[in-house]
Amino acid sequence: MSFDITKMIDLDTMDFLVDVEAPEIVERFHPGQFVMLMTRKEGERIPMSVMKAENGKLTMFIRKLGKTSKELRDGMTRFENVIGPLGHGIEEKVYGNVVVVSDAVCGQAENYAICEALSKIEGNRITSIQTFPSKKEIYPEDYLTTELVDKHIITTEDGSFGEEGSYIVPLQKMIDEGEEIDFVFGGGKLPTMKAVSTVLAKNNIDNLFTTRQMMVDGSGMCGACRLYIDGEMKLACVDGPMFDSRKVNWDKAIKRYHMFKKKEKEANDYYEAHKGGCGQCQK
Amino acid sequence: MPKIKPRIPMGEQPPMERITNFNSVPYGYTEDQAVEEAARCIQCKKPRCEPACPVTIGIKEMNLLIAERKFKEAYLLVKEDNAFPACSGRVCPQEKQCEGACILEKFDQPIAIGKLEAFIADWGRTHKVEVEEIKANNEDKHIAIVGSGPAGLACAAECRRYGYAVTIYETLHKAGGVLVYGIPEFRLPKAIVEKEIEHLEEMGVKIELNHTVGQNIYYYELVSQNDAVFLAMGAGAPKFMGIPGENPMDNVYSSNEFLIRANLMKAYKFPEWDTPINCGNKVAVIGAGNVAMDAARTAKRLGANEVHIIYRRTKEQAPARKEELHHALEEGIIFHELVNPIKFHGDDDGFIDYMELTRMELVEGEDGRISPKPIEGSTFYMECDTVIEALGTVPNRLFLDRAPDIERDDRGVIIIDENHMTSVEGTFAGGDASSGAATVIKALGEGKRAARAIHAYISTHDTSHRQEVQRVEV
Repeated sequence: MSFDITKMIDLDTMDFLVDVEAPEIVERFHPGQFVMLMTRKEGERIPMSVMKAENGKLTMFIRKLGKTSKELRDGMTRFENVIGPLGHGIEEKVYGNVVVVSDAVCGQAENYAICEALSKIEGNRITSIQTFPSKKEIYPEDYLTTELVDKHIITTEDGSFGEEGSYIVPLQKMIDEGEEIDFVFGGGKLPTMKAVSTVLAKNNIDNLFTTRQMMVDGSGMCGACRLYIDGEMKLACVDGPMFDSRKVNWDKAIKRYHMFKKKEKEANDYYEAHKGGCGQCQK
Repeated sequence: MPKIKPRIPMGEQPPMERITNFNSVPYGYTEDQAVEEAARCIQCKKPRCEPACPVTIGIKEMNLLIAERKFKEAYLLVKEDNAFPACSGRVCPQEKQCEGACILEKFDQPIAIGKLEAFIADWGRTHKVEVEEIKANNEDKHIAIVGSGPAGLACAAECRRYGYAVTIYETLHKAGGVLVYGIPEFRLPKAIVEKEIEHLEEMGVKIELNHTVGQNIYYYELVSQNDAVFLAMGAGAPKFMGIPGENPMDNVYSSNEFLIRANLMKAYKFPEWDTPINCGNKVAVIGAGNVAMDAARTAKRLGANEVHIIYRRTKEQAPARKEELHHALEEGIIFHELVNPIKFHGDDDGFIDYMELTRMELVEGEDGRISPKPIEGSTFYMECDTVIEALGTVPNRLFLDRAPDIERDDRGVIIIDENHMTSVEGTFAGGDASSGAATVIKALGEGKRAARAIHAYISTHDTSHRQEVQRVEV
């Protein structure tokens, strides 16, 4: 199996867009599911959100910060392994008035996949709210959900484009204006999800949010992605990745996300120090 | 009292040296050592060792052949009964099986059967001995095996010998199950496992990696495309203590996570390999089975100053293999018996800081069973910066939820009949998936026996109209 990278676009923001050949996964993929990516034999199994799965290719966004993106920039042409699809997808049905919200790189991919699936179903009215850090970080039009949905809203965290603040601002406005919202899908940063969960709870709105957690095997073996849902332990990989945000213990989920912060820096430094130079360390 | 020649000692890396690396602890017997050890076998008329072996290896004859330097013959003999002798020779609890039954055990000097098995397996492999294995051509019949751990591998080898077309589906990106993700390099070098699996592939067994049955390939697909299905997905889901403050707290791991990071993902080579592991200076491992020993010894090798085993029963009751416990203690691992954690306390950043524990005593219950009970008012505290919970595993729900036709008990363990068949005709199960959590060798034995049952089933049933089962997708 070859996981060739067929396209890599610098979105001129914090993120790259990557297309990878994975026909077996594409055939079985449902929006809301995720894949695991190993860039090289020695690589980590990294959970990845999928923006599109069509024509035998998976499209994903990759943040420029991490080591993976450096490998890409340094000329990686194929991935060692792509595994999936994993987790449960969304039910592709009529929800009525749906709002899909996102920030952060993974959330934007999920937003697109969900909007695309729901837009094909008659009877759904979709509002998509996408939050970016600033005007400069907004994706090019082709990679936003604008064309897929009935109403598209962009907010920026610094207010340099659209409304200032997170996706909660327009969502709250919709609620305040008395709009009947049947369902909310969302994903991205954990603190925003925590904040929106109280809004959704207060207004009793059904929802599913993708809980980003670190994973190792992604198949229910290691327990690294354990979460507390209504006090009960669940695994994001096999029970999720989407849960009703009102039931998630977000404080615990947020703390846990930083467990390997120091190690990430170490990996980055090591990569920078060894990626070329003397060649002694290269296999 | 007769004079009994003592066992030939096995050369080992000295404890203080080996805790700085992940290399194999024993060096393995040389040819001369193996010959000398095998010659100690008194060739009992009715050997007690063989029936005590879950795969009934011809131990008596193996010893004789090794003693006569007929290494090739000995290798072929062992391979006949066990497709994975290099693994089982290293990880079996021999003291509870063959060596425990050996008559010389009475004099505390049983034949080192496990070490001889490993020796002969290594000899055959390094001398590239060819094994004539496939006995028939039944390639028009297909068998799907779920899971490439010991049970799946053993079943695959045996089914292939009968000539069937065999495909194994494995979730992870590497085949071997617990042999690669769980058991550490220093106990079972991965190159050896790889070789034994490569051999299986050379025999014609197909291995589909990255395939989770019930997730990205469905059970009903396997049933509709194969003449028989063997479920050997093990008991892969971790158990947690479920005590206050526990979860999810940083640097509190399931033993599965800790070992998968270290073994499968080679976190001990971080940052050369990408997967990180946080292993602090003062590590507490809860439990005293083989997995607990593996985790404790791995932590030591990852640089922990102090590693503590926390066990609610006594050291004598520890279920670990004798040699593992012995090696662990040699390596400076501290064993605390009759203690049990009751609460975890974290620091401001959410990392484990210290544990609250209680002392335990063994009390005879009304049913006569002796079990540990907390001693009131005995609470004490123990600082630690890493906790590994090695409490055993339970079957993974992932598959079972999506194969509702297969009956299982309330723990999720698949119910089988005496022929390893599940409640669905043509679907068999073995290993931890149908027996709860057990040993590698037990799984190897079950895989082999199930293969025979599958062969009997396919030979006597018309499998052309394949069983229809409920279609369940994600």
